[in-house]
Amino acid sequence: MSGGLFLQSLILGVLLGGLYALMAAGLTLYFGVMRVVMIAHAAFLVLAGYLAWFFTTRTGLDPILSLAVTVPAFFVLGVGIRRLLITRLKPATMTMMSVLLTFALALVIEGLLGFTFTGVQRRIRTGYSSANFEIFGAQVAVVKLIAFVLAVVALGSLWFVLKKTSLGQALRATIQHREAAELVGIDTDKVAGYGFGIGLATAAVGGTALALDATIYPSLHWHWIGPMMAIIVVGGLGSIPGAAMAAMALGIIHAFLQVPLGATWAQTVFYVALFGTLMVRPQGFFGGRLAQRF
Amino acid sequence: MSRRRQVGTRRTTVACATLGCAALALAACGDGDAESGDDTIEIGISLPLTGDFSEPGEGVRRGYELWAEMVNEEGGLLGRRVELNILDDQSNADRVVADYEALISQDEVDLVFGPFSSRLVLASARVVDEYGMLFVEPAGASEEIFEAGYDNLFYAAPAVADDHYNYLFDYIMEMPEEERPDSVAYASMDDPLAQGTAYGLKDKLEEAGIETVADEVYPPNTTEFSGIAAQLAEADADLLVGGTQYQDAVNLIVAVQQLDYQPRMAAFSTAPTLPEFSEALGDDVEGILAPTGYSAAADYPTNAEFVERIAERYDGRIPSEDEANAFTTGQVVQAAVEAVGCAEQGECQQKLIDWLHENTVDTVVGPLSWDEAGRPDSAHFIQQHVDGEPEIVLPEDQATADFIDVKPEW
Amino acid sequence: MPNDSDLADASAQGASRPWPIPRLLGTGTLGALAILVLSFPFLTDTGYLLSTGVFILNYALMATGWNFVGGFTGYISLGHAAYWGLGAYATAIMITRLDMPWYLALVTSAAAVAVIAVPVGIAALRVRGASFVIVTIAFVMILLLVFQSWAGVTGGSSGLMVPRAFDVLRTQHHQIFFYLYAAALALTLLVWWAIDRSRFGMGLKAIREDEDKARALGVPTYASKLVVFVLSAFFTGLAGGLYALWFGDLDPVFQFSILMGAYMVLMALLGGIRELFGPVLGALVVGVSVEYFKSEFGDTQFHLVATGLLLALVVLFMPEGLIPWLRGLFQRFGPRASSIREVSAGELAEQVEREHAVDEPGSRS
Repeated sequence: MSGGLFLQSLILGVLLGGLYALMAAGLTLYFGVMRVVMIAHAAFLVLAGYLAWFFTTRTGLDPILSLAVTVPAFFVLGVGIRRLLITRLKPATMTMMSVLLTFALALVIEGLLGFTFTGVQRRIRTGYSSANFEIFGAQVAVVKLIAFVLAVVALGSLWFVLKKTSLGQALRATIQHREAAELVGIDTDKVAGYGFGIGLATAAVGGTALALDATIYPSLHWHWIGPMMAIIVVGGLGSIPGAAMAAMALGIIHAFLQVPLGATWAQTVFYVALFGTLMVRPQGFFGGRLAQRF
Repeated sequence: MSRRRQVGTRRTTVACATLGCAALALAACGDGDAESGDDTIEIGISLPLTGDFSEPGEGVRRGYELWAEMVNEEGGLLGRRVELNILDDQSNADRVVADYEALISQDEVDLVFGPFSSRLVLASARVVDEYGMLFVEPAGASEEIFEAGYDNLFYAAPAVADDHYNYLFDYIMEMPEEERPDSVAYASMDDPLAQGTAYGLKDKLEEAGIETVADEVYPPNTTEFSGIAAQLAEADADLLVGGTQYQDAVNLIVAVQQLDYQPRMAAFSTAPTLPEFSEALGDDVEGILAPTGYSAAADYPTNAEFVERIAERYDGRIPSEDEANAFTTGQVVQAAVEAVGCAEQGECQQKLIDWLHENTVDTVVGPLSWDEAGRPDSAHFIQQHVDGEPEIVLPEDQATADFIDVKPEW
Repeated sequence: MPNDSDLADASAQGASRPWPIPRLLGTGTLGALAILVLSFPFLTDTGYLLSTGVFILNYALMATGWNFVGGFTGYISLGHAAYWGLGAYATAIMITRLDMPWYLALVTSAAAVAVIAVPVGIAALRVRGASFVIVTIAFVMILLLVFQSWAGVTGGSSGLMVPRAFDVLRTQHHQIFFYLYAAALALTLLVWWAIDRSRFGMGLKAIREDEDKARALGVPTYASKLVVFVLSAFFTGLAGGLYALWFGDLDPVFQFSILMGAYMVLMALLGGIRELFGPVLGALVVGVSVEYFKSEFGDTQFHLVATGLLLALVVLFMPEGLIPWLRGLFQRFGPRASSIREVSAGELAEQVEREHAVDEPGSRS
């Protein structure tokens, strides 16, 4: 591998890794607060992408502006989904049945997207779609950088909420030990609801960032479920910093493997990492102690 | 209108299936409603109207519908009105088989036309063959289809996939040594048609001693092309050849633009022949080459009328290759039906097949005749976007514009 | 799956059964149903209806295969399409590349799938709940990538064509495979039934209700789970092999799809995962509905919405499935069927404990 290609792959890996981190953050948050594997998270990412595309084609404005609508809407939707659907499941079988329930949700979203926008692939076309600049001889795509910045800003806000606010403290307490959190007077039910809402709000940002530089189509979410699952397991279920680090690591490895192995084989790195983690260290590499039991 | 009727038929089908599985009085409904009476000819078609191949699939549908409309205006086929029964196979190989099985055995259509793309033709050819039906198809160009040896299959376009770039190859070979590209990069979707065209050219160029510096294959539905683009940019070949369908070509081009890779020549299959292509990329399409089986300017009988009718229906634009190939499919079947004088399931189909093996048909893509496996024996044009418009640049006697040797930067 | 509300039907426990009449009735109904199913190919010669019938039997076989894991242990595998796809590809590759006769290829490939399932099971069954589901999804996705990329062996995205095993008319071909599938289904149901009434089955069901307690009671949980996991893969693989022979055209995207795995879960859950015929009933309902929605609303994605809603409704309101629900209706409105002895999960656990207590000394001596 030449120096140029090395640098190019590294840049690509970092930019995509940041995006993956944002896309997986919500998934690990749901698991933390509710012990729910939200299969529909990827479908919501695609939904957000479609809304951004629709917004841009209708108004001609920049797709990022659609976040003003989609982020609050997704937050409310998240709170609603938890309240109306997830809490109806019996606690004893919550984890298994929530997988199926959110899977059903993913199918409905995919079907409705296909119904509304047809199965035709869509791509957002902006003035900066193909723009690039050079850094140390490597090319950086402007649109990928924007997606990365969006991801960093969203993850930074998430970090701020979790670390610096009382809601964040309550959330972290709920994730770590629900019963204990209740004992110290935290309304875990309400907090879990907010956690779900925040998780889905990250999907709005992640989906928009994804759609900036990729084609979207209704069944795209299948493509992302696997890598995102791998990221949260490697990072340790329920751990947001873990997910972020795992996403960055896997993103970079993936970008490098693409050179010798090609696009398809390189994709297997996610699953190899997933199986490897479960064999060697089921609780994940970056924190989290929840995996084995749930 | 035909759509509504068809839905009615399928509803009975499923009701039958439900009952059948519960094993209730099935004999009564097993026959379906064979309503293709004496006054209509029903043609069964399955097309990818959603999924990977939906853009070209829609183009094929427009071509078929225009053909049916024009035939009906002239008083129909054998004096019978033509009705199209079009189902959506969602670009799925399993669905396309179920569709043709339903069309032939349940709806009892009189004739069938082929679906789009080699992958789906490959899947459906067997079921159509096993029912002994004539199968003229607009898009199954890859060698695997002809090697399977179906005697009922005919490809309604000038040349098979491997030969699509023949004129371009000849042109490159005739270029002065110092201008000729001396390295080529290939990126192809793992799809028989897309790969067939790209590798057809690759084999010939390699034999002629022109070096392959990159050869990437990606599965259908790939959306992230930056990794592939990084390698193409690194290889920095003079000629970039994309074995593409539609969206993958757009994504690939944007991805190499982001890395500022500027090949001297670039050729992509299928995508540049679609009207959506220049809408998606704007001015960046300038100088991009593509093989096409169709030229709006070609002086073949019926072509002028076809061009005019497409322009009438679709805001004055010229026909796309898929529309033309679908229209050609209609013309081929029409010629056989009118010569043999029948159009229904049974013995008639073999007569139609035999007739096509022995005769030449005049179509909008020129006179077509086939070998025993259904390979057509003409050649594809080479198209290039010149001043934003798709123009024919090769062969020179059919050219509508001059070949641009060095592609402007994209 | 819920514990206390759940009543395991122990009617099949043989000797202690006091009332033979319902059993005769059951056998009679079963026989009548079997005859109806078997006579289906004679009732129509429309290729499309026959192929729909074969497809539904394929669904039934897959779902019953899935139910070895899902029904006995309560572990929900969303990636069972992996074994279906592996069975199909193994059969196709053995026929096209090794020139094996079809029946040999079919059996060998199902066995091969079972062998592959051993290490996968060892890895997957170490973890429970969410992690297990993730592993099963990941396995089917990794196989999709491998089968798409490894074109030299698998044909890549273009798929594989399998030559016809029988040189007959298409409708006869459908009829032959209808019976082959029916035979495979009968065998699968027989094995499930045998396990269900065995002591081994008792232990498995104890795992389903409370794995930790079951282990504490001396059930070899890990080994038991692995055995049914491998059996499950075997029968699902068999369905795949038959599919390859019947359909003759394999596409990696279709063979290794999570959606197909989800159909298996939906079918089993809808019919009732504790019921012998639950998955078969589910396959009938889902198979017919899928065919209906796809043909009726083909160019929209409406069948996905319908599938999703159905799955959500089952999970939320009928997690026990149709058969227990129908039985409940029957018991409420029909004659009191006091003859059917039912045990709760708690009793079940006690029973296991008792049997172990009885056994242990014997096995030591």
